[in-house]
Amino acid sequence: MQEVRHVINDELGLHARPAGLLVKTAGAFGCMIKVRNAAKEVDAKRIMGVMGLGAKQGDEVMFTFEGEDEVDAAETVAKFLQENL
Amino acid sequence: MIDILKGLFGNKKGVIQSPIEGKAVPISTVSDPTFGEEILGKGIAIQPAKGRVVSPVDGTVALMFDTKHAVSIVSDDGAEILIHIGLDTVKLKGKHFTAHAKADDKVKAGDLLLEFDIDKIAAEGYDVIAPVIICNTSDYATIDTVTGKNVKERDRIMVLKK
Repeated sequence: MQEVRHVINDELGLHARPAGLLVKTAGAFGCMIKVRNAAKEVDAKRIMGVMGLGAKQGDEVMFTFEGEDEVDAAETVAKFLQENL
Repeated sequence: MIDILKGLFGNKKGVIQSPIEGKAVPISTVSDPTFGEEILGKGIAIQPAKGRVVSPVDGTVALMFDTKHAVSIVSDDGAEILIHIGLDTVKLKGKHFTAHAKADDKVKAGDLLLEFDIDKIAAEGYDVIAPVIICNTSDYATIDTVTGKNVKERDRIMVLKK
């Protein structure tokens, strides 16, 4: 299992556009990807779940990756988070 | 009588009714790639004529954004629908929007969810087009859309088939 933690920098939080791009990024991998904040844990490949986190600027989100391509997935998602959120 | 018929439509599986009165257009015409390139899913967009959003299905409000510029509903038969009012309107931080529902509310098709001021949003320089997106597009084999015409609230705009 791989883990990636990230504190949201975007002043608008994890709103529709970055949520969509995140799900698209996560969806390219076969492994199971979950993301959670203080409130709940959701499937990082489902738009409604990711938007439903309601993650705001300053919130920490934690991703877990489990499956064959977990290393690649964790690296790619970490890069996405740094560049977009 | 017409209301009774519309009520029956509301319960029909896979039918999505228009949440907004206005002109239904193909989602590909929306300039924001998040919607136009279907990153959030397939759907249509409505150029609003009236600043009201009603529930497009019988279901449950999944999420009312703090900024009230978007709302999502899960229909009783599992369709995950996002209604997003305007482009980049997250930046208005709730200004010109009034919420009439909250997360976990049970709603019937036609129940009022949101009101918004089209003129004021446009006056601040925002495109007021409203994408209506099926977020779980991959759960469906086909999503038929009705575009290129004016629609009233509760007119049929999409049919989803598994």
